[in-house]
Amino acid sequence: MPLYELGLVLTPDLEDQARDAFLGELKQLLAGHGASIVKEDVWGKRTLAYPIRHQREGYYLFWQFEGPGSAVAPLEYKLRLSDEVLRYLTLNLDRELRRAKKLAAYRAAQQAAKSAVGSAPAEEAQTSASETTGAVGEEA
Amino acid sequence: MSKKKFVSKRKKVCKFTAEGIDYIDYKDVELLKQFTPVSGKILPRRVSGTSPIYQRKLSRAIKRARIMALLPFVGE
Repeated sequence: MPLYELGLVLTPDLEDQARDAFLGELKQLLAGHGASIVKEDVWGKRTLAYPIRHQREGYYLFWQFEGPGSAVAPLEYKLRLSDEVLRYLTLNLDRELRRAKKLAAYRAAQQAAKSAVGSAPAEEAQTSASETTGAVGEEA
Repeated sequence: MSKKKFVSKRKKVCKFTAEGIDYIDYKDVELLKQFTPVSGKILPRRVSGTSPIYQRKLSRAIKRARIMALLPFVGE
């Protein structure tokens, strides 16, 4: 089952309780379609780059969930109808990261080939590479 | 001699190739901002030196960020 990423921007004037209730509904909907949330990333309130529905702020959160593709359509249907949602974006992360994984594998192979020649400099490069990817992951 | 002035050229490098960034995430606003001037436009390859593959990925990420109101469609 592919990994999806859902980005949500909710209205800022939502009470904490109402927001939790709404997110609970979404989780229930996902669970009902056989999807499970892998990772939650809550940014909280953030200024929007441009006003949406006269709102200058938005409540940002991102979920990664694993589930069948058939779960996405009903989820987006609900999001489209909900007044709480300013913006949403669902991505198939498996598809997004396919090339990145390929590149990483290719680079690892290159490193392995290099380390066969001289082990010390290759190791150094490898650690710096893992550091940069780590930093990107944190940003995400 | 000719009137041609000597202009020192700085070698442009593709940030993503150089730093080994494989996936450009639309949530990485700080990164994307480096490629959008205050006008909010996407910096062309001829200016930034980004390789074609990454320019396509970059423009897609910027467009996604615009949809999610992380970046403006139009700047100042």
